[in-house]
Amino acid sequence: MTNWHRLIKNRELLVLLILVILIVLVGMVNPAFLQADTLLSILNSSLILILVSIGETFVILTRGIDVSVGASMGLSAVILGVSLNAGIPLPVSIALALITGTLAGLLNGVGVAFFKVPPIIMTLGTLGTYRGLMLIITGGSWIETIPQNIKSMAGWKVLGISAFAWTTFLIVIAVAFLLRSIKQARYFYAVGDNEEGAYILGVPVRATLLMAYALAGLFAGIASVIFVAQIGFVPMQTGNGLELRAIAASVLGGVNLAGGVGTPFSALVGGFFLTVIDSILVFLKVPAFWNNAIAGLILLIVVLIDYRIRVGIDTRQRRARAQVRAQKMQAAHASLAKEEA
Amino acid sequence: MKVPRILKSWETFLVFLLVGVVLAFGAVNPSFLNLDNLLYSTSDFAHIMLAALPLTLVIITAGIDISISAVMGLSAVVLGVTWQGGANIFVAMGIALLVGIAAGAINGLLVANTDVNPLVITLGTLFLYSGIATGIAGSLGASGYEGISGLPRSFTRLAHGSVGPVPYPFIIILVLVGVYSVLLHMTRFGRSLYLIGVNPDAARFSGIPVKRVIVIAYMLSGLGSALAGAMLTAYFTSARSDLGSEALLPTITAVVLGGTDILGGSGTIVGTFLASMVLGYLKQGLLAVGVTNDVSQVVIGSLLIIVVAAKLLAGEMNRKRLNRRALQARDSVKGGGVPS
Repeated sequence: MTNWHRLIKNRELLVLLILVILIVLVGMVNPAFLQADTLLSILNSSLILILVSIGETFVILTRGIDVSVGASMGLSAVILGVSLNAGIPLPVSIALALITGTLAGLLNGVGVAFFKVPPIIMTLGTLGTYRGLMLIITGGSWIETIPQNIKSMAGWKVLGISAFAWTTFLIVIAVAFLLRSIKQARYFYAVGDNEEGAYILGVPVRATLLMAYALAGLFAGIASVIFVAQIGFVPMQTGNGLELRAIAASVLGGVNLAGGVGTPFSALVGGFFLTVIDSILVFLKVPAFWNNAIAGLILLIVVLIDYRIRVGIDTRQRRARAQVRAQKMQAAHASLAKEEA
Repeated sequence: MKVPRILKSWETFLVFLLVGVVLAFGAVNPSFLNLDNLLYSTSDFAHIMLAALPLTLVIITAGIDISISAVMGLSAVVLGVTWQGGANIFVAMGIALLVGIAAGAINGLLVANTDVNPLVITLGTLFLYSGIATGIAGSLGASGYEGISGLPRSFTRLAHGSVGPVPYPFIIILVLVGVYSVLLHMTRFGRSLYLIGVNPDAARFSGIPVKRVIVIAYMLSGLGSALAGAMLTAYFTSARSDLGSEALLPTITAVVLGGTDILGGSGTIVGTFLASMVLGYLKQGLLAVGVTNDVSQVVIGSLLIIVVAAKLLAGEMNRKRLNRRALQARDSVKGGGVPS
């Protein structure tokens, strides 16, 4: 296989390549786009989507889907806002937000793993439930005053890059490392690839499912901390529609909804890509109304290119196998003919 | 004791649930039991039903269409823009419905001709269609809260008019329930939807034009959503790109609560119809007894999970019971004395 083939077979690299070309093209039209400030601010606004997408990736790896992550993030953000306003110290409040997210995810996991409720139904139900809880806790009004201590976190910088961005990078790398090096982490792939097979081989399927949904919730909780710090208030729409963007980001980056395929890098690349698209149109002086149309079009194109490539590789492999078989048959016939003679 | 099969069906359960919901709220707030009122309030969730009925067909094929809410907005915008451009309002509505069918055809063609998960395809078109809708509305300066208003009364009557106490939308829905029931339960097309949902390969080998059937199912879903978009436009008397944006989850909930297996292969039109009535009245009833919209979301979300989990549990217990019975039957044949 040539390097070129290897490159386009790797979905993260393919999408990264398209992304770089896109950024360079937009930079040629409007050089302001290529300034470090611009790219850094896009990076900062992509962090929430990236983190939620990493959590979503765990669930999709197990062949599930979680449409409640946006609501889980909203609920965690509300808990964070309420507890900060109640005068609870910052670290404790953050811990409460993370626990809220994890519990929200865990409940999904219990439904999927123990009651065998199909994931989309379970998480559809909790989506409504968590959104309702958000409104009940706040009485339906926005949390507008957030203490300065958490807002100032968004301004922390190391080497000119925000501390949140560093944290997200570290999380991506840590998750990627753990997924490769810990045996139990491979269970996510095993369960998603073949649940029955994994069960027979002794993989604790239920615990793995519980873990995947709990992680999705935990990451939504982490994202809520960044949300509250960056935005500085908690509107009731917090996280609305984020679940679909997170699924789109993961899929764009190469996570397969059929389970068993994907890495945190997929979520990183996909989440950054979708955020870049949102900013590109502004720099091309095209009205931002068309953002979603472009995002949808690119998602479809990438998925279809990927399909063509897979089919192409598949037919090439089949043809190669058929050729080998034909050669063997010929050789066998030849040796038979020789023996008879 | 033998219970007649029809009494054991999911649809019967839904009828009891529907009556139970209406009576329970009526007991708390008697004004809820007013028949005129009950009929009139169906207009509030007519768009959910219009989209849920054809979505049932798609889910039976083991597919899903999450672009329905985007098609609603797109259809509303197309309708408004074409009318503003000088077309007759009903011609504009016809064009909006055609756009819906085309949107469904794109979904169907992509689903039928690739092995990409329908959720991914329609997620892509969800963004695409809603983006086109906001794009058109935005470029024409109609993206505000007002949208395109001033629509003629002859059109808005579609949502607000009635024959006696029965509102037009409900009549349209009843007709569609009939049409889709015949289509699903009495035609070759309908039977092939089930087979495709159970085993697409077997369907192909038995000579069913699988691709064509799938494309038609998604086209019907597009048409249903476009009709829902037009109905919402008439109901709110203005065309906006965000009409229907909240409709996706209730619509899927209605189909699933109606007994359609999200994994494909089973489901009925009547079930979807009854379930959307239950959900609609549940929401209305909670409002009528003073429960806020927030709490009703919690109730409806929990109901969905509990009902599906209970149904799965009941199926599991039924299977165990049948197993036990079969074992007993075997043992009695062997005289019961043979150690296993």
